[in-house]
Amino acid sequence: MSAGSDAAGSPSPRWQDLARRAAERRNAEVESVAVRQLLTFVLDASPYAVPVARVREIVRVRPITPVPRVPNDVCGVISLRGEILEVIDLRLRLRLRAAQGGRASRIIVVHSADGSVAGLLVDGVSEVLNVSEDALRPPTAAEAGNIETLCVQGDRFISVIDLDRVLGFDAQR
Amino acid sequence: MAQRRRKNRSSSKKDQEFISEAEEILDRMRQDLADLNDKRVAGAEADPDVVNRLFRSAHSLKGLAGLFGFDPIQDLAHRVEDILDGLRLGRVHLSLPVVALIDESVHLFASLLEQIGNEEALAAAAEPIGRLVERIQAAREAPAETSEFGELALEPSLLRALTEYEEHRLRENIRRGRHICLIDANFEIISFEEGLSQLTTAIREVGEVLSTLPAPGAAPDAQIRFSLLVASDRPASEIASRLALPAGSLRLLRAGAPGAADTAPASALATAQAPEAACHVETAESDDRAGGGQRDAVEAGAPESLKSISDTVRVDIHKLDELMNLVGELVIQRGAIGELVGRLSADAATARIGSDFAKVHKALDRKLRELQSAVLDVRMVPLSQVFEKVSRVVRRLRSDLGKEVRLELRGADTELDKLIVEELVDPLMHIVRNALDHAIEPREERIAKGKDPEGRIHIEAFQRGNHVVIAVADDGRGVDTAALRALAEAQGIVQPGDLLSERETLDLIFAPGISTRSEVTETSGRGVGMDVVQTNLTALGGVVDVETTPGRGTTISMTLPITLAIIQSLIVVVARQRFAIPLNAVHETLLIDGSEIQRSEGRELLNLRGEALPLRRLAAEFDLPAASPDAKPFVVVIGLGETRMGLLVDRLDGQQDTVIKPIQGPIPAVRGIAGATELGDQEPVLVLDVSALLADLGRRRETP
Repeated sequence: MSAGSDAAGSPSPRWQDLARRAAERRNAEVESVAVRQLLTFVLDASPYAVPVARVREIVRVRPITPVPRVPNDVCGVISLRGEILEVIDLRLRLRLRAAQGGRASRIIVVHSADGSVAGLLVDGVSEVLNVSEDALRPPTAAEAGNIETLCVQGDRFISVIDLDRVLGFDAQR
Repeated sequence: MAQRRRKNRSSSKKDQEFISEAEEILDRMRQDLADLNDKRVAGAEADPDVVNRLFRSAHSLKGLAGLFGFDPIQDLAHRVEDILDGLRLGRVHLSLPVVALIDESVHLFASLLEQIGNEEALAAAAEPIGRLVERIQAAREAPAETSEFGELALEPSLLRALTEYEEHRLRENIRRGRHICLIDANFEIISFEEGLSQLTTAIREVGEVLSTLPAPGAAPDAQIRFSLLVASDRPASEIASRLALPAGSLRLLRAGAPGAADTAPASALATAQAPEAACHVETAESDDRAGGGQRDAVEAGAPESLKSISDTVRVDIHKLDELMNLVGELVIQRGAIGELVGRLSADAATARIGSDFAKVHKALDRKLRELQSAVLDVRMVPLSQVFEKVSRVVRRLRSDLGKEVRLELRGADTELDKLIVEELVDPLMHIVRNALDHAIEPREERIAKGKDPEGRIHIEAFQRGNHVVIAVADDGRGVDTAALRALAEAQGIVQPGDLLSERETLDLIFAPGISTRSEVTETSGRGVGMDVVQTNLTALGGVVDVETTPGRGTTISMTLPITLAIIQSLIVVVARQRFAIPLNAVHETLLIDGSEIQRSEGRELLNLRGEALPLRRLAAEFDLPAASPDAKPFVVVIGLGETRMGLLVDRLDGQQDTVIKPIQGPIPAVRGIAGATELGDQEPVLVLDVSALLADLGRRRETP
C-alpha cells in the first residue's frame, strides 16, 4: 500500500488498523518478534524508516507557524483537527542539507515517549515494509546516534530512526 | 456576563451545595450500613473496608457540615464518626444496638437535611440530636480500654527506644486524638544533619515531631535512614503531599480520633471530591476506595422519602472541559463563517445573498455567545468555599499560636473558574499563614507599639474587569526592606552595588532561596515560600503584588483571570507573523513615532501621560526581523496587577475570540508563549504569556 496517497484529514481506517495490529503484536510477543513493520520515507534522496507502531497518521504539509526561542530544527506548530502540534524538520534534525519542501512532502505524526504527539517533516512517504528481525543490523559508528538500526532491503540499507532520541530535546539542552 | 452570573445566584445556593453533597454521603452510608448489618446477622466479622468507608463518610459529613456551618449536623456526625472509629479499631463490638444507633443517626441526618433553611425546625431538632448523642456516647464507652500503645502499629523495638518524655508526648497526642504516623527518610551520610533538620522544620509546619529514631532495615550505600514519629491534626494524605514524600515513606500508625480540634474538614471536602487522592496514603491500614464506584442500585431499605431534595447535578470537571472545547471549536467556526459572509457581501454578484447570510450569521453569533457564557457559568464557583477553609485555619492557628487575630472576609460571593479556585487554595493559605505566624506581632509587642492588641487580617475579593483580585491585608510589622536587601545580598541574589527601586527590593521576597531562610521570618516577618506562591499564580496566568508600610502592615494582592477558557485576544503582527495577546491584559494601544522612545540605562521607555512605561520590542524578544526604522510602531500597553509594560509591534490586526490550546510536542514550554490558538484559517497563532513577559521585565536587569 502506498501511504503517500493518504490525504490530509482523518487517517484511513486501514492505517489505524495496521498501526493497532502492529502495536498489539509488539506487546503480545516480546521474545519472538519475527516481523517488524516499518514505514519508510525519503530524506535527501535516501531511505529512512520509523516503526509503524509509533505512527499515528500522515498528513500533507499545511501552514506551519514558527515558534520563537526554540532550536532551529523545530519548524514550528501546525493545527490538526483542533490539536496544536510541534513539527520537527527531520532533515535539519539529522543534520542533512536543508531544502524547500516539494509536492511529495508530508508530515508524519508520531507518538513520543511521553504520550504526546509530534510531527516529522519528511520529503516523501514511500511504503510500509514487513521486515524480519534478521534483516536488521546495528548502526555503524558513523551514524550519529539518531539511527536505531539499519534494515537490509535487497542491496540497500534503510536507516531506522531512533524516535526517542530524535524527539528527546530536553535531554540535549 | 458578570451581571448575568450574579442574577443566577440564589441566596440558598450554598445550602443547595451542602444538601446535594450530604445526600450523596448519606446514600453511601445507607448502603454500607445495610452491608454491615448483613454481616452482623450472618455472625461474620465486620468487613474493615465497609467500616472504614462508613467512618470516612461520617468524617466527610462532619467536615462538610462544619464547612457550611450546620452545627447540629456536625455534632451528630462527630459522634457517629467516634463510634465508627471505635468499631474500626476493634474497641467497639459490632452489635445490633450499635448498628441501630448508626442507622438512627442516618435517618436523623436525612430529616435534618430537609429542614435546612428552616431555622426553627433545626433548633427543635437539637433535642433528639442530644438524646442520640448521649446514647452513642454510652455505647462507645462500654467496652474496656486496650493496652496503652497496643493499637499503634509500631515495631516494639521502636517503641522501646522512646524516652520517657517522648512516650509522654505520644500518649498526650493520642489522647488529643491526633493522627500518629511514621515517616521514613533516607539521607546521605555526609549531609544528613542538614537534610534531617530541613525535614523536621517542614514537619513542624503540619504537626509535632515526637521522636527521631534511626530506622531499622538496610539503607542504601552511603545513606542513613531515620524514622520520624509524627503527630498531626492533618490527615496522612495531606502530610504526605505537603512534604512531597515519596510513596510508601509515610505510615499511618493511628488515625486521629475525631475529637481533635477540627481535624480536617478541609481534607474531608477533598476526600469527597477526590477519593482516590485522599486515600492514597492510608492504604497501609485501610482499603482503597473503589467503593464509590460500586454503589449499584442496592437498596438499603430506608423508609423515608427516597426522592432527592436537591436538584443539583454534580459533574466531572473534565466533562465541562470537553463541553468547553466544543464551544471553543464552534466559536472558531463562527469566525470562519464571518469571513465567508464578508466575501459574499463584498462581491456585487453575491451581495444580496451575502446580506441575508449576514443576518443569519448575526443571529448565530448571538446564540453562540449565550451558549458560551452559559457554559462558562457552569464552571464558576463562589470563593466562599475557599474563605471557609481560610477561616478554619485561622481559628486553629490562632489558638495554636496564642495570638489574638480578627479575620475579616469580604467578597465571598465573587466567582471564579472552579479549576482556578482549586489551585488558589494553597497560595492563599500560605499567605494567610505567613501573616498570622510572622507578620502579626504578639499581643505584648502590639500593646507596646500602641497598636490594637488584637491583630487584624482582612481578606477581600472583588472583580476587576476580567480578573478577580484577592487582597490579603494584615496590620502587622510590615516587611523590613533593609533586612530583606541585606539577606538577598548575603545570598548572592543581588550585588551590594546594585541599585534597586523600593518596589524591586520588595519583589525580592519572591526570589527563590530567600524562602527557605528562617532569618526573614524573624527580621521581616515575610517571605517564607513566596516564590512558590508566585510560581503557582503565574501558572494560572495571574500575578502577585506586595505593598507594605513598615510597622503598619502588608497587603498581598493576587490578580487572577476569571476563567481559563475562551478569551478575547488582540491580534498583533510582528515581522508578518501574528501573535495573540489576551485582551484582559491589554490596557490600551497607541501609535507612536519612533522619536518618542526614550532611553534610560539602555532600557527603552515611553512617557505615557507623565508615567514612565518600560518598552520591549516583541521582534527583539523573539529574534524576529525588526521592522524598518522609519515605520511607526504600535505600542500595546499590557499589565496585570500593578506592573505595566509596552510591547512594540508592527501592526494591530483586530480582536478575536480565542481558545488557548497547549502545544503538543517534544520541546519544553517556551517562556513567553502560553499556547496557540486557531483563528478560522489553518495556521495556528501563538498566544503570548503576558504574566511571564511581565515577570521577565522585572527580572532582567541589564548591567551596563
